[in-house]
Amino acid sequence: MRKLDRLGWTAGLTFKSFGVRFGVRSDDPRSLEHLTQYLPPGTREAAPGVVERLYSIRLGGEAGRGVRRFNLLYANHVRLARTTDAEELFERFESDLQLTIAEGARRRVFLHAGVVGWRGRAVLVPGRSFSGKTTLTAELVRAGATYYSDEYAVLDREGRVHPYAKPLSVRDEGGSARQRKVAVEEFGGRGATKPLPVGLVVVSEYKGGGTHWRPRSLSMGRGSLALLEHAVPARTRPAEVLETLEKVVRGAIVLSGARGEAAEAARSILERAS
Amino acid sequence: MAERTVPANPLARVDGVVVRELPDEVLIYDLDTHKAVCLNSTAAEVWRLCDGRRTASDIRKMLEKSAKGAVPEELVWLALEQLDKDKLLVERVSRPAALVGVSRREMIRKVGLGAAIALPVVVSLIAPTAAQAGGSGCVATGGACNVGGDCCSNSCLNNVCA
Repeated sequence: MRKLDRLGWTAGLTFKSFGVRFGVRSDDPRSLEHLTQYLPPGTREAAPGVVERLYSIRLGGEAGRGVRRFNLLYANHVRLARTTDAEELFERFESDLQLTIAEGARRRVFLHAGVVGWRGRAVLVPGRSFSGKTTLTAELVRAGATYYSDEYAVLDREGRVHPYAKPLSVRDEGGSARQRKVAVEEFGGRGATKPLPVGLVVVSEYKGGGTHWRPRSLSMGRGSLALLEHAVPARTRPAEVLETLEKVVRGAIVLSGARGEAAEAARSILERAS
Repeated sequence: MAERTVPANPLARVDGVVVRELPDEVLIYDLDTHKAVCLNSTAAEVWRLCDGRRTASDIRKMLEKSAKGAVPEELVWLALEQLDKDKLLVERVSRPAALVGVSRREMIRKVGLGAAIALPVVVSLIAPTAAQAGGSGCVATGGACNVGGDCCSNSCLNNVCA
């Protein structure tokens, strides 16, 4: 870390998000301006002080003849990225920061899930990356639901879900790992502002176009396990997580089953959520 | 199945676990192994009755009393062995001589014919690490892989994630 500290940093900022303090320093003030678009919802600037995670960004600048200049990203003393593509560096920053906040957030339980609001209740779609979570969330929004998140369901101790309305991260056709950010308004939707109790949990994975969604209902216990599988602080705060999940499943229906096209599944989901 | 030697006065493990009681189930989280277990009503009832003094036969009688009907001893053993497997008992339990060598399938068949209560069911999962839950439990494009399922893209070509 000392070696890193000696590199010479010209700009730095401290932020706080869901109770997690983190800092970012760079050798180029412009990079700090640029990274604001990668900060998670609910992040605000904070007074300088001790942080839980310190990001260090060194931009390589223009490549010379025969010389490749790498952009470097560190989290504390660990190198997270070494790339000639600056955007890739910022995406890595965003992804690591989101996970840091999701794991360290106080008084909130983060589940990896898409969330929409429908008629005063939230619909949760837990799932790993590449499970079609964002696609289904986008279709639910197109069908009239209010957008909460395509990344995390942020639950309070009462089991209510709070908005985490970042732009949707849409993958290009063909399932590329690279994502582009799309504002919810582009899907004809709007972002939520208030927390909601959970009414429906949809445990589902895309299994091909011909698959019709015929879910089965899960018991409260099995529903809790299905949610636990996507709870970021499951190992670090299991008692709190289980208590929160219990509140969710006591007030919600949990459905599980493979699905086909997102548009068809979205219609069925909203019918059941009504 | 190999015969075990420890006498069967099962004692439910209460240290190092987080327990949540649901209306018809019990959720147990093992803080050592990070395994979360869901017991259905029958398995939960057996688990609650494991106080270290009662034998399997005593537990069967208690179950018969609450179910108001016959409960075969095999059902208790099915539950105990599942609890044992998930390390929810303080000590391992051993079947009585009459049941040694009887397959689990045979026991289920017998229980299914004569029980007044549901078969014990225990479902478990290993809790994810933060990275796994956060969606990065898969290998990104360009990373090494063996099968498609290793990759976020679900596509592994020549041991590299597409």
